[in-house]
Order: sequence, then C-alpha cells, then structure tokens
Amino acid sequence: MLSTIDDATLMRVAEALGEEEAVKLIEILKNSDEITDDEIANKTGIRLNNVRKILYKLYDHSLVSLRRTRDPKTGWFIFHWKLQPDQLEGFILSQKRRVFEKLNIRLEYEKNHDFYYCYTSGCRRIPFEEAVELVFKCPTCGKPLMHYNNEKIVQILTRKVEQLRKELGE
Amino acid sequence: MPKPNDLEQKALQIIMNSGNEGLLQSELWRKLGASSREGSRIALKLEDKGLIRRERELRNGRWTYRLYPKRLPASIDSIVDCPCMMCPDSQRCSPSGAVTPQNCEKLTEWLFHIAETDFKILGDS
Repeated sequence: MLSTIDDATLMRVAEALGEEEAVKLIEILKNSDEITDDEIANKTGIRLNNVRKILYKLYDHSLVSLRRTRDPKTGWFIFHWKLQPDQLEGFILSQKRRVFEKLNIRLEYEKNHDFYYCYTSGCRRIPFEEAVELVFKCPTCGKPLMHYNNEKIVQILTRKVEQLRKELGE
Repeated sequence: MPKPNDLEQKALQIIMNSGNEGLLQSELWRKLGASSREGSRIALKLEDKGLIRRERELRNGRWTYRLYPKRLPASIDSIVDCPCMMCPDSQRCSPSGAVTPQNCEKLTEWLFHIAETDFKILGDS
C-alpha cells in the first residue's frame, strides 16, 4: 500500500516515542525487510532490553509487526520484526483525536471556572469554589490567593482545538 | 532499477509536497527522472487509486495536466509538543478518572509555557 507519510514524519514519530534510540532503531527497521531484536542491538549498539522495550512500544501502536519462530538448537523463541509504515497515518490520526478530546475538555473547564493563584512557582491554581473553602489561602505555601486571569490560557486552548478540528476534518 | 511501486511512492511524495498549488505532470516526470510516458502512467495510476486529482491546464499553447494531492501529508507537528501525546497516564486519564485533563499539572505547565513564549514574542515585536 502506498504511504502518505514521508521519512521526516516517520522520524519525528520515532522521536516522540522514544527519543534518539527509537530513531536509530526505526532507521534500521526501515532499511530491512524483517529483522530480529538481536540483530538490531548489534547494528545499533543499543542494549538488547532497550531494543525490546522500544519494539514493544511500537508494537502496541501497531507500527511494527511480529513473527515468532523457534530456534531449533536452543528451543528459544526468535522474534522477527517488521516496520508497518502504512499504519503510521492511522497512528497519527488516533493520537490527534485523543489530544483533541483532552484539550477540548480542558478548554471547557477553563471557560467555566474562575481561578485563584498565589503566584508561587510549584503551587497550583485553585478554582473559586475550592478557594472559598480554603479561605483564599494557598494549601501548599499558605500565601493569600489572588484572582488569576486565564484569558490567555483559554485563547491558546481555543487556537489548538480549532487547529486540530481542522486537521481532523471535524 | 526502482520497482514500479517505489516510483509511485516517490511520485506521491512529490505531489503531496507540492501542497495546494499542485504541480504540472511534466514537472513530476522531470523530478522523478522518468520518461513522460512513465510519468503520465504513474499519474493515472495514482488518480485511479484515489490519491491525487488531475486537472487539465493550457500551458504554452499545449494541454497538460496539473496534479493535486487529495490528502496533504499527515504530520504530527500540531501535537508533538503537547504532553497528552504519548502520556504514560493516558489510560487513566478521563474527566472523572484518577488523572483528569482538567487538573493535569503537565498540561498546565505546557499551557503556561506557551503563554510565556507568546507573551515574549508579542513583547519583542
């Protein structure tokens, strides 16, 4: 099947999944038809347990397929891995849909609540109802809570949600 | 020698990268290093597969085709920096779950960071 994903996108997905090691691993998978985890470890210098960890992560998202055979001498299983680039578009779409849902929920929450904040880094913003119960005192540092204008946060979320809505064609 | 499918894949990438502008069929086969016959065959195949659209265009007194992608390349640019992408708590995260998008601190930090960056950019201009 023809893929609508280019190599740069494939690599960016690899980065998001597991940073540098995943990029190296995908580079090897991309250039092989089928390859075992041992061979990948030898070719990349990545520790075998890390190779397997990244491969299982990719497998969870159906980005690689797996074939299992048994070593006739030792009786151990050998895992043969193969990249499935045609699944990438689906993976990106499902990630986008998930992020879209989360950001939408957050946007509604930000729109419908008034926040109070002590303006100390490490402390959280408190919604009005909770701030009343706390007598407008930060539960973490004890400083007084002041009104927090979340207009900018709402703007950023609206922008992101709209962008994703467009990209998802919803 | 490249397999026919490789050439199709390459052609599709070139057409998709041309974006909404599209590109002339002649530009495609030149970029592919293929003959005009091969180029038009590939374009027809991609159209049959529903991946591109061909529109007739008069160029230097001759009729040719402009090729447009039906879909633009999927990109993760819009979500790659969002902590919800690949979040390890994703399975537990729901409006009424143990982790919620409403109160997620990672999400708050990310929003604060964008707000700060936006403010700096606006402040500089």
